[in-house]
Amino acid sequence: MSIPLSLPEAQRPAGFLGRLEARLGETGILLLFLVPALIIVIGAQFYPLASSAVISLFDWRLSRSPTIGPFVGLDNYVRTFSDPIFAGTVSYTIIFAISSTALQLLLGLGIALLTVGEGYTLRLVRTLLMLPMVVAPVAVGTIWRMILSARVGPLNQALAGIGIDGPNWLGDPTWAAFSLIMIDAWEWTPFVAITLTAALTSLPSDLIRAASVDGAGPWKTFRHIVLPMLMPVIVLVAMFRLIEAFLTLDIVFTTTAGGPGYATHTLSFWIYQQGLKYFNISYAAASSWVMLLLCVAIALGFLAWRRHITSWQVSR
Amino acid sequence: MSLTMRNLAGWGLRGLLIALALVVALAPFVVLFFNSLRPADEFLSEGAGLIPSRLTLEHYAEIFDPARDTFRYLINSVVVTTSSTVLAVLFGALAAYALARLRLPFKLSLIIGVMFLVVRFYPKITVALPYYLLMREFHLLDTHLAVIIAHVSMTVPFVVWMLLAFFEDFPRELEQSAMVDGCGPIRRFVLIVMPLMAPALAAAAVLTAFLSWNEFLMASTVAPNAAKTLPVRVSGFITDKGILWGAMSAMSSVIIIPVALFALFTQRYLTRGLTAGAVKG
Repeated sequence: MSIPLSLPEAQRPAGFLGRLEARLGETGILLLFLVPALIIVIGAQFYPLASSAVISLFDWRLSRSPTIGPFVGLDNYVRTFSDPIFAGTVSYTIIFAISSTALQLLLGLGIALLTVGEGYTLRLVRTLLMLPMVVAPVAVGTIWRMILSARVGPLNQALAGIGIDGPNWLGDPTWAAFSLIMIDAWEWTPFVAITLTAALTSLPSDLIRAASVDGAGPWKTFRHIVLPMLMPVIVLVAMFRLIEAFLTLDIVFTTTAGGPGYATHTLSFWIYQQGLKYFNISYAAASSWVMLLLCVAIALGFLAWRRHITSWQVSR
Repeated sequence: MSLTMRNLAGWGLRGLLIALALVVALAPFVVLFFNSLRPADEFLSEGAGLIPSRLTLEHYAEIFDPARDTFRYLINSVVVTTSSTVLAVLFGALAAYALARLRLPFKLSLIIGVMFLVVRFYPKITVALPYYLLMREFHLLDTHLAVIIAHVSMTVPFVVWMLLAFFEDFPRELEQSAMVDGCGPIRRFVLIVMPLMAPALAAAAVLTAFLSWNEFLMASTVAPNAAKTLPVRVSGFITDKGILWGAMSAMSSVIIIPVALFALFTQRYLTRGLTAGAVKG
């Protein structure tokens, strides 16, 4: 690997770049390549992350003081765990994330099976079905806020047309909690569909043909061949979606703003309110670290599950 | 005969289900679009149809009224998205190349790689507040730079991981012959690696552009006024007194139409970017 450096002086490339490369050497330059990415990720992600852990151990309310207050140990964490609103928020977020992810997986798998294949029409269909996912979540919120508007929204008008008195989708606590799940599922089902379509496309087609030659019907082929082979991807996608649903913030802002009452407060939204609206910085930092640890737990659980599935497949 | 009948019925069912999926996915956009063209007095009348009695551009004229600064927010969004995309792809490509080629001791390459991966999985709300304080310290609050740094730090890890996967099957022979000719890593990267990576770089750029254009949390945290981006402006409609349905629809259309068109044209790259990491090949 040291060939270029051992070249005689005369053969070395001239010019600024050549001299720079010669002076710094292969490893030096490659290390320099790493620097911008590392600086920005450490500076703008890991440093704030660490400082939020430190802040969570102090008492700091930006509304009262511009500088950090006294050390209070784990007080903010104790306060977080004894706050009934935090508990309610956690349980709604868990219900929200699990129901939405389950819906996305079911619908996404269905759409992937329906739209997989070659041809111009199917490609166009797949592109159009992607749209809910590529638009800004805040805009998704405003669209649905309009559609679900109780009195003048098109959904309730359509329901009235067939004689049904539609509910107050976003105004009633239970319906609002339900509506938000449907909106999130609407937005992110395309992600599951796209990923599973790609996974389906990369399956060995001769195996599936062999199964149908052996007389297995479509359902049997799917159940015993396609589904098991898709499982590792499904588990990974479920993990991505569950964690991201767990972090949902944007659509809450433009649909219900967390209401009515606290009915649709997701964890992120609640922490956002605590930190960036009321400026209870330490309290928000402590709650956000509790949330972070929950995320880590979810991710580790899924990765263990995936390892279990793939090792089981290999050992067969 | 019966088999073809069954095939025909199967195709019919499949087409029906696809049509249903298309309606559910697209109808909300149609509603939004028509509402952005609906006269203001028609919003509160019950029994108004999906298609407005007459089409009007009054809401677009209203939001683009110079006094309302919409045009500035649009420029802000464009500046933030393009800068973030260029920087994230550049920094990410350099880092991925270095990680793929360096032999670092103590499994450092793996550690750095995992570090980048972790960024995807923790709540950004944990970072938002201290990041706000950090930007306050540097007097960068309410500047494009504050939003750009945040977006690059969020998207560089995506880019690194996408391109690392790409480098796994990058033909090293091409680079080695250049090395014999005395090309150092800078010229090899620019002359050989970058051109061959173009499709992967495009996929990374498209994904980064979408994330940056739509991002709300960090933008709303560090740029609440002058440097405000479109998503932050759209979220402002919830607190306005009474809801201005028409203006809200027009503003949402302004943020949606560019990405929707962009998605249609970059669908191939977008799909590749989105599925990288979950599906190989």
